[in-house]
Formats: sequence, C-alpha cells, structure tokens
Amino acid sequence: MRRRSSLPVTFLLPTLAILLVLSMVPTLYAIVIALQNRELSSPGYSWVWFSNFADLFLDRRFLNAVWVSVKWEIVTVVATMVVAIGLGVLMFEVASPRMRNVYCLLFIIPVLLPRVSAAFVWKFAYHPLYGIATYPYRLITGGLIFDPLSKPATALFAVASVDVWQWGLFFAVIVLKLLETLPPQPIEAARLDHAKRWQIHAYVTLPMLKAPLISLMFVKMIESLRSFDLIYVMTRGGPGVATETLDMYAFSQGFIESGKVSYASAMAVLMMIATVITFTMLWKRVQA
Amino acid sequence: MKPIRPGRLIAKATLALAGFLAVFPLVWTALNALKNNVDIITRVPKVIFTPTLANIGYILGRDSVLTGLYNSVVACGSAVVIGIVLGLPAAYAVARYPNRFAGDIQFFVLSLRFLPPVAVAIPLMVIWLQVGLYDTLPALIVTYSLLTISVIMWLAIPAFQGVPKEIEEAAFVDGYGAYSVFWRIALPVAARSLIGAIAFSFVLVWNEFLIALMLSSSNAKTLPIVASELSQQGMNVPWGILNASVVLLSLPPLLFLGVLSGFLNSVFRQKKN
Repeated sequence: MRRRSSLPVTFLLPTLAILLVLSMVPTLYAIVIALQNRELSSPGYSWVWFSNFADLFLDRRFLNAVWVSVKWEIVTVVATMVVAIGLGVLMFEVASPRMRNVYCLLFIIPVLLPRVSAAFVWKFAYHPLYGIATYPYRLITGGLIFDPLSKPATALFAVASVDVWQWGLFFAVIVLKLLETLPPQPIEAARLDHAKRWQIHAYVTLPMLKAPLISLMFVKMIESLRSFDLIYVMTRGGPGVATETLDMYAFSQGFIESGKVSYASAMAVLMMIATVITFTMLWKRVQA
Repeated sequence: MKPIRPGRLIAKATLALAGFLAVFPLVWTALNALKNNVDIITRVPKVIFTPTLANIGYILGRDSVLTGLYNSVVACGSAVVIGIVLGLPAAYAVARYPNRFAGDIQFFVLSLRFLPPVAVAIPLMVIWLQVGLYDTLPALIVTYSLLTISVIMWLAIPAFQGVPKEIEEAAFVDGYGAYSVFWRIALPVAARSLIGAIAFSFVLVWNEFLIALMLSSSNAKTLPIVASELSQQGMNVPWGILNASVVLLSLPPLLFLGVLSGFLNSVFRQKKN
C-alpha cells in the first residue's frame, strides 16, 4: 500500500531541489569569484585564475590565520570534551535525580545564548578594571591589573573559555544522559570486583560510550568552525593577529580593510575544501 | 550512618561551582542592565544599588533597536515557517519511505552544516547585490531557509522514525491514504519532538551573526548586529545600555529553555527503549 503512493516524490523532491539550489549556487559562485579580481569599490573585474590562491600562500597573515584556526579547533574541542566528560561523570556519581534535573537546566542556558550575547557578557567580565571575572585577581593582588583579552599569550584562551562555557556545559548534560542509558549490570560487576569509582568510568562506562562520544566530538569540531561572532565581538582578531582565525581574516580582507572580495573568497574556498574533505572522511569513519 | 567522604564533598563542590558559573555571568549582566553607569564602573563590584529602568527604556526607545527586533522576528519567523513547510514532509518521506538514497540524502543535509559561513556569505552578497536584493529581508529569509530546512529535516527524521509503525499500519488498514496518515497520525504523534526541532532551528537563526552582518548594511540589520554596533559608539561605552541590549537579545532563545530540555530528554528516552 505504501509502495504505490506518490508521497515520497511530492514530499522529497521540491525540498531537495531547493536545498541543492540554495547550497550549490553560492558554493559554485564562491569558486567563480575566487578566480576573478573583484573588489567592493569597483564594479569591473577580470579573470585572474589562480593568482589569488598563489598570493595566499605567500601571505604571512594568512598562514598565521591558518595556525590560529588550528589552535582554536584543538583548544576548544579538547577543553569542551574534558569539561563535558568531567562534569557528566560527576553528576552521574554524586547528584541526586532532582539535582541532576536542576544542573541539566542550568548547564543548557549558556549554549542557548546568542554568541554575540555570550561574547559581551564575558567581555564585560574580563574587563581589567571593572570586570567581575577579574575582580578576584584584583582583590588578591591588591589592585594589580590583569587584562586577558589584550595579551597575545592569553587572548585566544580567554575567548576559547567562552566557547567552552557554552558547549562544555551543554555537552556535560549529554554525557550524563548517555551514562543514564547504560545498562547497570557491568557497573555492578565492576563494583563487586572492588573497582574504584574512577576506574569504573575509565575502563567500563566511557569505553562503552566510545561511539556516541566520538560523534559528540565530531559535532563540536563542526561547531568550533563558527567562532567568528565570539572573536569579532571580543577581540576583532587582536591583539595584533593573535586571535585572527580564517573567517575573521577573510572578513577583514573582504569588508573592513581593503574590500578585496575575490581574495577573501579564495580563502573561503580553501576553507570549504579543507572542511568538506576532512569532515566527509571523519563522518564515513564514524559511521563505519 | 554513612561516613562523609572528602572525595564526594569535593565532587559536589565542583558541581555547585560549575552550576554557579553557568548562570552567574548572565545574572550579573541582567543586574548591570538595571544599574546607573556610576554603579557599574566601580573597582569593587556593587551588589546593592538603586535600580533604574533608564537603560531598558533607552534601548526600547531607539529606532535602530526596534527595527533590528522587527527584522529578526520577520527573518527568523519566515525562515522557520519555510523550514517547517519544506523540511517536515521531506523528513517524513526519508523516515518512512526508505530508498537507496536515504543515507546519501541524510549525509547531504548534514554536510550543509560543514560549509563555512563565510564561504556562503561572500558569494551570496555578490549575488544579492547583482539582483538588487542586497540589504533586504527577502534575501536574508532565503539564506536562512537553507539553515532552517536542513536542521529541521535532520532532527525530524529520527522524530518520525520514533512513531510506532503499528499505528500508521492500522490507519492504512482503516482506509487512510498516505497523505492523511502523515497529516492525521504521524504529525500529531511526533508533535512533541517536532516542536523541539523547530524551536532549535529558531534559536539557531536568531543567534546567527556572520551572514546577517555580511548581507545587511542598513535596512535589514538583525538584532545581533544592532547590539554589536552599540559597543562601537566611541570610547565612552554606555555599559548599562549595552547590558540591557544583551538581555533583550538573549531573552527569546531562553524562552525555549523548557521546550529544548524536554526535547533532549525525549531523544534519550527513545534511545534507551
């Protein structure tokens, strides 16, 4: 009865066609623009083929941006997973069912905030003179000034802390829910063998959750690519180029500093190729 | 009586600290929104102060903020409606009429999330400029629809798969057609999870920043853009006003807190069974 219906075609085809058009038109056009020398200030353009790409590899600021982006990915993904697993296990171990519900609700709040809001909240908190997060430091040191966002050594970590505040706490909730889905027998068995609490998690529960935890990390890797809002509001890529990730640099090349749309697009195309290849490979591996 | 172990105490304290850190910065921002500037710019944070509604009044009285609010509501609302109309039926078709492309379709929908936003925003800006729709709401709505359709579809597929097959089979036996089974059985039964998926897509586009920043210059600015611009009004930053705008921007997503945490619970309950 189901087989003969026209439903799959009428329900699926229009949506897929629209998704294809909406995604392929900009993607292909990004490549076209990258091969030209368009600028925002003038309507004329000509084809320059691969010279934008050649220029990129000689551009030290671009290479810096690649390195900053890689650092950002590693720092945020690792810290998020550590916080999530740590807090998730703690909730599982010591929180009563009622407290678990309370914590779950509290831990979801930061991730719901617009990143612009989260960035502002912490930009105020990190203010060297009036910030609430720097207040304990001022109190202990008797008024010394600590300005995490304007020091090249700490700026990236200060911005990354906001990302972990949003995602690490949220993922802790998911880790807890994953632990709750596990059957109790293996944990009981390990307990009878006098395994310590941390041993139970390190050798029994977390290995059992390997697949979902890897999927979770995969999601975080994708979401970490969207760092632009945080960095734009908190540091604008500064101090200097210490927090200038690829999207930040592409934006400032294309819009703020020089209006070199084609150059920015070449960068975006390289990012797109890198992420699509990496994540397709990772996804196939996760699924396998 | 159980002995109190120090490890357990430390664990509880860590959790309490994390819970505090989760909400305190936001509470502090809300308090600052109610303060006069002199009470904010103090070396020692002030907990006791005379509250003022001036900041909130200022924010709600500004045309730019109201326009931003209007733009955000219209752009996000329309994109979510388009996402529902196109995404839900497609998700149902993938969930209930599996074909050999189902895996590829799901991967395609997910892979849209891999695209770096800059890579989408730059060409779209050029395209919208050429067709004369740059800095308009329709351009923003079309662009956001890509996000809402794919996210709603991705989350609705498991929601429809969670509907017991027997109910649908029974409806077929009762003489329902394929379409009325979708309308009258699948949609109502899956409604709770679907509302969660829709709320999630709304929060996602409401919070979106980069695309809106690149696709608008004056008329179509959304609330996040307007809020971020308030901070650039010279050196003398009106902190109270900024805090008030952060609160206004954050309220709509927080309204969905209950719906979304319920959605999360139902996803994992389904997994357990």
